[in-house]
Parts: sequence; C-alpha cells; structure tokens
Amino acid sequence: MRIAHIFSVAVLMWVTAFCPAQESKVGNLTGHVKSGKALYKRYCITCHGVHGDGAGENAPHLDPKPRDFTRATFKCRSTASGSLPTDSDLFETISRGVFNSAMPPWRPLTRRQRVDLVAYIKTFSSRFQEEKTAVTLEVPSEPQSSPESVKRGSELFENMNCWSCHGKEGRGNGPSAHTLTDSKGYPIVPFDLTSGMQLKCGDSSQAVFRDLMTGLDGTPMPSFSDALTTDQAWDLVHFIESLQSPGGKRSFLAKLGAKRD
Amino acid sequence: MHAIPAFARKYNLRCSDCHEAWPKLNHFGQTFKDNGYQLMTGRDAPIFQQASYFPIMFRTMPIWHRESDNRVPTDIVPGNRASGQVETTLTTHAFDISGVDIWTAGTLYKNITFAVQPAIDNNGKAHLETYFVRFDNLLNSPWLNLKVGKFELDTLISEERELFLSNQGGFYQSYHFTPIGDRTSFGFGDHQLGAELMGHSRNSYTRYSFSVLNSSDGQPNSVSNSYDEYADFTQGFELPRLGLQSIGVYGYLGQRPTYFQTSNGAPLANAGLGSRTFSRIGAYGLWYFGKFDLSTFYMHGQDNVFLGNGVPANEPSKLPLAAAGPTWNGGFVEAHYTYNPQLILVGKYETVQNSRPANPTVRTALGDVKVWTVGYRWYPIMSSRAGLAWHQEYARARTTGTAPLTGRDDTASSFLMGFDFDF
Amino acid sequence: MNKLNLRFAILVGLAAALATNGAPRAGVAAPMPNPSVATVKGTVRFQGTVPKPSRIDMSADIKCGQTKSGAGMTEDIVADGGGLLNVIVYVSQGLGDAKFDPPKEPAAIDQKGCMYQPHVVALRANQELKVVNSDGTTHNIHPMPNNNRELNQSQPPGVPFSMTFAREEVAIPVKCNIHPWMHSYIAVFKHPYFAVTGKGGTFEIGNLPPGTYTITAWHEKLGSSFQKVTVGESETQTLDFVFKAQAGS
Repeated sequence: MRIAHIFSVAVLMWVTAFCPAQESKVGNLTGHVKSGKALYKRYCITCHGVHGDGAGENAPHLDPKPRDFTRATFKCRSTASGSLPTDSDLFETISRGVFNSAMPPWRPLTRRQRVDLVAYIKTFSSRFQEEKTAVTLEVPSEPQSSPESVKRGSELFENMNCWSCHGKEGRGNGPSAHTLTDSKGYPIVPFDLTSGMQLKCGDSSQAVFRDLMTGLDGTPMPSFSDALTTDQAWDLVHFIESLQSPGGKRSFLAKLGAKRD
Repeated sequence: MHAIPAFARKYNLRCSDCHEAWPKLNHFGQTFKDNGYQLMTGRDAPIFQQASYFPIMFRTMPIWHRESDNRVPTDIVPGNRASGQVETTLTTHAFDISGVDIWTAGTLYKNITFAVQPAIDNNGKAHLETYFVRFDNLLNSPWLNLKVGKFELDTLISEERELFLSNQGGFYQSYHFTPIGDRTSFGFGDHQLGAELMGHSRNSYTRYSFSVLNSSDGQPNSVSNSYDEYADFTQGFELPRLGLQSIGVYGYLGQRPTYFQTSNGAPLANAGLGSRTFSRIGAYGLWYFGKFDLSTFYMHGQDNVFLGNGVPANEPSKLPLAAAGPTWNGGFVEAHYTYNPQLILVGKYETVQNSRPANPTVRTALGDVKVWTVGYRWYPIMSSRAGLAWHQEYARARTTGTAPLTGRDDTASSFLMGFDFDF
Repeated sequence: MNKLNLRFAILVGLAAALATNGAPRAGVAAPMPNPSVATVKGTVRFQGTVPKPSRIDMSADIKCGQTKSGAGMTEDIVADGGGLLNVIVYVSQGLGDAKFDPPKEPAAIDQKGCMYQPHVVALRANQELKVVNSDGTTHNIHPMPNNNRELNQSQPPGVPFSMTFAREEVAIPVKCNIHPWMHSYIAVFKHPYFAVTGKGGTFEIGNLPPGTYTITAWHEKLGSSFQKVTVGESETQTLDFVFKAQAGS
C-alpha cells in the first residue's frame, strides 16, 4: 500500500496574518529578528552575504556554496519536498553544522542565540510569511534490522534507481553521477555511502529515514515519500547502513550525532 | 596564542566569528581552541587545504606612547653624585614597536594539533614562547586531549589575549605578583613546560584540565627533578535573555629549591635542594549581559616561609623572627562594551594586596598595587584574511611604599595609541 | 473594472495523449463564447539550417530502451518545414490587473521511453499538473524554478504524482537526475492567453478581449522575442515570429 497523498504547493500557500514572521519558536524558546540580525552580522555574513543570498565575500572560494536563504530551499527538513523547513529544522542545521562543508556546528552559541538566528534567516524569503509551515514527518519506530531486511533494501536500491547516482556499490560513482548539478548549476557529487563520513542532515537511522522521505531539496536527491512504504524505507535504511565498513565506526558517529542540544 | 588570521584563511571565517574583538575569544572561538583548532566539519586535516596554504601569521604593533613615573630617584645636580638624590617625576614619550609575534599553528593530521610561537622582542631578540603538540579527542571523546610542550596554563582569561597593551595596563598584576623579598620565580601568566590533560563537553560549557609541569617556570634546559601541578575546572550556564555565563576555579601547586648542591663550592644549577612549596588558587568568571560583559578574577597566593624570605631551607636560623609564609590576595574586574564586532570599549581595575608579610617587621601593605586602565579598540576592517586595529589606552598604577628614597607610594602611568595588525 | 471571469480548460495537458507533436496546443474557448473576442494567431519560424537532432544514448538504464515508443532524439531545436515547435507564445502585457481562476481540469506530463512528453508544458498558476510514469523504470521529477517552490520526488513506474505552481514563471526547467538526458520545461501563467506551437510552428490564442497586447515568444535555446499587437472586436490578427540559428550552432 503506497503512501498516496498529493503534494500540492497551492494548498500550503496561505496569507496568514497571524503567523508571526518576526519570531521563531523552538521548544520553549522564542527567537527575535532584531537579536538574530546582530548575530548574523557577526557570525554568518561572511559566507551567506548581507542579503542572505549566499553571495558573501567567501562564497567564491567555497564548495559547496553557502545556502541562498532567499530561495527558501533547504536540504535538511522534516517536511515534504518543496516545503519550508520548520523552525526546529533550521535550528538543528545551525547547531549540527553541515559536515564536509564550510558550515561549522554553531552549538557553542547559546540556544537562544541560535533561535534568534532562525528568526532572522526567515526574513530573507517572503515564503516564510506567505506559506504555512508544512506538516512534519513523524519518523516511525525502527524495526529490528535483519539480513532479510538488508536484502529487501538492496532490491529497492536497484529498483528505485539509487545506483544510477550512488553506484552499484554505493560509492557515489553511478552512471549519472558526473552529470549532477545542484539547483544553482554547480557540480555536486552523490554521497559515498561506503565512506563512513557523517551525513549532512544527521547520522542516526532516523535521520537517514528522514532524508529518504523528504529528499534534500536543492540537490538531485529526491524524496521517496510516494515511492516507498514505511517498511520499505526502513529496509533501505538498513541496506544503506550495511554499506558502511564493518567495525562500528559509523555507528559510533551515529550515536554522537543523534544527541541534540 | 593571540588572534590567528591563518585560521580565518583556512576556514573562511571572519575574525569576529571566533573573537568578540580580537584577540579576546568569544565562546565559539574558545570551543574551536578546545577542539584543537578544529571546526569538526570533517575538513580539519591538512589534506583538505590547498597545498599552498601555510598556517603562519604574525602580529605586531607600531605605537606612540607616553610613560610617567613620579618617584624616580635622580641626582639633584645632573652628573654630580655627591649632590644628593631626590625623587622626581620622569615623563618620556616616543614612537615604539611592540616586537613581533610569529605563530604557526593548526593541524598536522586530523586530531593532531600543533603550535609554535617564536616571539621577537622589540630589540630583535627571539625566544620560543610556545611550542606544543596536542592529541585531540582521544578514544573519540572530547573529554580526553593530551598536550605536550610549552604552553600557557588553561584558563578562560588569558593574558596572551588581553585587550590592553600599555606598559602599566597591558598585563595582569595578579598573574605575576611576588611579594617584596620573595625569591619564587613563577608567573601565572608565564608559559610553562610540561604535559596537560584537558577535556570539555562538546559545546565547551564544562571544561577541566590537569597539568604536570617543570618546576622551572617554563625555562628550557633546566632539569629541575621536581614537578608542579595545575588544575582548573570551568562550567558555563545560560541565563535567559542575558547570555552565557562561565565560572571557573583553579589551583597551582608548585615547588622551588631554596639551595643547590655544590661542586667545589660552585652551585650545580640543576641539582636543587630544600624544595619548598607555593600555591596560587582562585576563581574567575565571565559574565555576559548582551553587549556588555565582565571578566572577574580572584587569586590567593601563598609562598613557603623560606621562599618568601629568600632563605635556604638548611639555614632556618637565617629566618627573621616570627617569619611566616607570605600570603596575598589579588583580583581584577575587567569590563567590555562591544558596540559591534568592530568597536569595543574596555576598562579594568585590578588590585593585589599583601595579607601576611614574610617578614613581620616589614609593613604589610608594602608592594600593594592598584591599577586602573581604560581604552578602546576600533577595527576598521573585518575580513576573513587579515586584521587591523586602532588602539588607545590609558593606565595608572599606584604601588604602596615602593618609592626608593622616601618609601612613599609610587604612581606610574602609561598612555598608548597605535596600530595593531595581524596577518 | 470589467472583471473577466471566464473558465478555461487547457488542452496542453491533454496533449499527453497526442504522443506525436500534432495539432497546435492552445487555450480553448469556454462553453460561453463571447462574440466580441479577438484572436491572435500565427507561425513561429526558424531561419537557417536546423541542427540535426542526434540519438540519445540511453544505455545507462537498459529499462529505458525496453519501452516501445519514444523517439530518443535530442529536442533542443525541433523544426519541420521551417516551423519551430515547442515555442511558448503568450500575452506578456496588456491584461492589466485582470484575475482568472485556475481551471479544475489538470494538465499532464508523461515520462515515456525515458523522455518527457510533451517536451514543453504550459499551464495555469495553481492548476494541478498530473505527472505520469509510463515507463518500466523509476524516474525522479525535479522542477527547478526561480520563482516557485523547488521539489524533487521519486516516482516508480505507475505511481501517480501531482504538483502545482503558484506563481507565473516562463519557464521552469524540469529534469530527471537518474536519466540526465531528460529535459522539459513548464511555463506557468496567471491568465489563459498562451499557446505552445505544434506541427508547422503554428499557434492560436483566442478569446482575447479587444485591446493592445504585447505577445512574447519563448524558446528554450533561442531566447525570446516580442511584438505588440492591437485587436479590435471579433478581429483576428496574424503575427509571425522568426528565430535565427545561433552563430556556431
């Protein structure tokens, strides 16, 4: 039984007069634009630019490029592909940083400072005022991994054409890999699933599940929310995890990455 | 360790990302330092840099300054020793240079950090201020990091990264105070030789360090056959709306020889005997209230009676009557107003007061010191490649009873203005 | 203000049933024809030597070659007899603040033989676009708009998927990352006055209220050009566009 729901952009486009675009909410903290702006000018402006368009003074020297906030397209979300991230999603990305890029983990900033930054970042795109935040994907509980689950996952890896980008062995060298560009036209490489490196949106099994079901917007990595059932998605997660070198190097990192402040 | 534009160039971050106003670190920069100058984004190892990137920087300050001291003994008739001496106020001013700090620091490999700092003073004489290797995140844990070499003691208020530069205001009295007559060679702000085990939580709110150090105040080539210990512990906590606050406690327990083995009557410098102990313990705090912040520091110093009186431990009869181990208390409050990342106003008040003299016939307050300093730094450029600051500062220090002729208080002042640049 | 409240069904989407580039696709009149409306029609021509389309190498996915239909030829510039296909012709100025409700009928685009059919889709803002996967292999549908929301959805064979675009944009490039030769373009309009040229390069935009309009023709490789036209009541004006071969192509 496939998850069959229609992603309709128009349904989510509301002019919500009561939605406070000047604030962000994460947990019991409320962030404010004015404080966030001062923090942005100290910490973020050099890469993300004074207009939030990813054209800061360092941008020409960076790969991958800094996020263009004016597009409101974000990789790491808990919402459907094409939707805005939640305030929590932005907070998590700021805290965790983006591994294998120039974006550091800003965890040393206080929680309040990070929530303030989320509020300011949202001012760079009118989409945050025009659209209601989409429904958050709830990651269901993970079934136990098993050799059967991994085998089913490997069949899905074949049928869903994951290999065309990620390669038959998951090393990121599939036949389409060299053609890939991100949405700004810059070359982008598929993740090498065998590398043991930390994933950009978190390392836990739940994070991998979420990556599959929401996609990484702005990149060639699609959402499989209409293509996979929950069980199939977990099978694929188990297969992906089996591609790691044995010895638990990644599982240790996964445990570290799973902790949140 | 000052402000290191080499890191800005390596990581494409501005000075203001790691420094409130360089060289003073903000908490993000402190965490970066605790990680072994690593951002932990997977690109810290040198293989990820362009081969042409070289982690070197230098810092120097061309300045103009004015010094004044009101108790300088001078001959009444210049050139005539017999004419007698009187205390006069001596004021001098000139352009000057600060010397050059050269730093090279970074990673040799993932989780292997290094730093080397040859410093050249303004006479051109060089010495090695810092050099160490640090093995970071042992057993994949931020709680275990091992540093070996010559380095400053772990503390959140580093004299290396002070925002003051003048002769009277540009150092912490508490970090160097030794009572009059005391022979203990130790400075809390001096770089020490040894090994340090240090750990921190991932966001560096909780930190500890434990060091074993030569009993030689960082001097190389001195086999002193005894070791000092130092430990500190800091804890950060957030206050709603105000920001991150940090408090720390520390303790240094050291020993120094009071006499030496001799051979043919000549002392063997590395064969110390009669070691006696000294201690420096205290607490510090960093208090943030939005753009305004305070650094507070307290130290209680205590030296052994033999060290305090400069008497060898095998000749106790040479001690003055009712001699005691000297103790003193010192501390400062330093205030900053960071108007924006490119303008900071600073002020400091510090005092060190003797509590119990080593020799009871000596006035207790002899050598007490009170210093206040005000200034500001303006950074006309703030980029990810290099830094420049314009600095102005005035400091006034008053030392009790140290005027050489009259025994009155000695007041000295410094005014400094100039450029501080960092490449 | 004369608020136009006409509803239009767009044949563009139903052109998916027309596997070959057949009759010109245009906005079709509603069941309530107004006798005073005007029409702008014409031909878009290509001047110069039409570059020969080449066969696309689909060996990266053997399942692509297994479907029966599909030309499998590059579609950058498609011309027959001097007429240029896949040109979007639309009213870019002259409608003022008129508002139009989106039609309830969906437009459609199909993935067949690992090619998008049609190659160019024009539809209305907030009109549903049904995406069909008629192939035996999984595709991903990845529109990359500048003025709309970007999304990226994996679509196994036969699984239905729909999307809408809220804002005007000419035109949104669409690609499949799995099969990198697949390209299509989606143009989104707030009004119903547009057409995509079909065989012979012809187009027809009907039901225009009388007035002066700027008509723009857009081609994915050859750029845009525009002309002004004035139509009176029940008048039909003919407008031709010419696109030249680019230097070196």
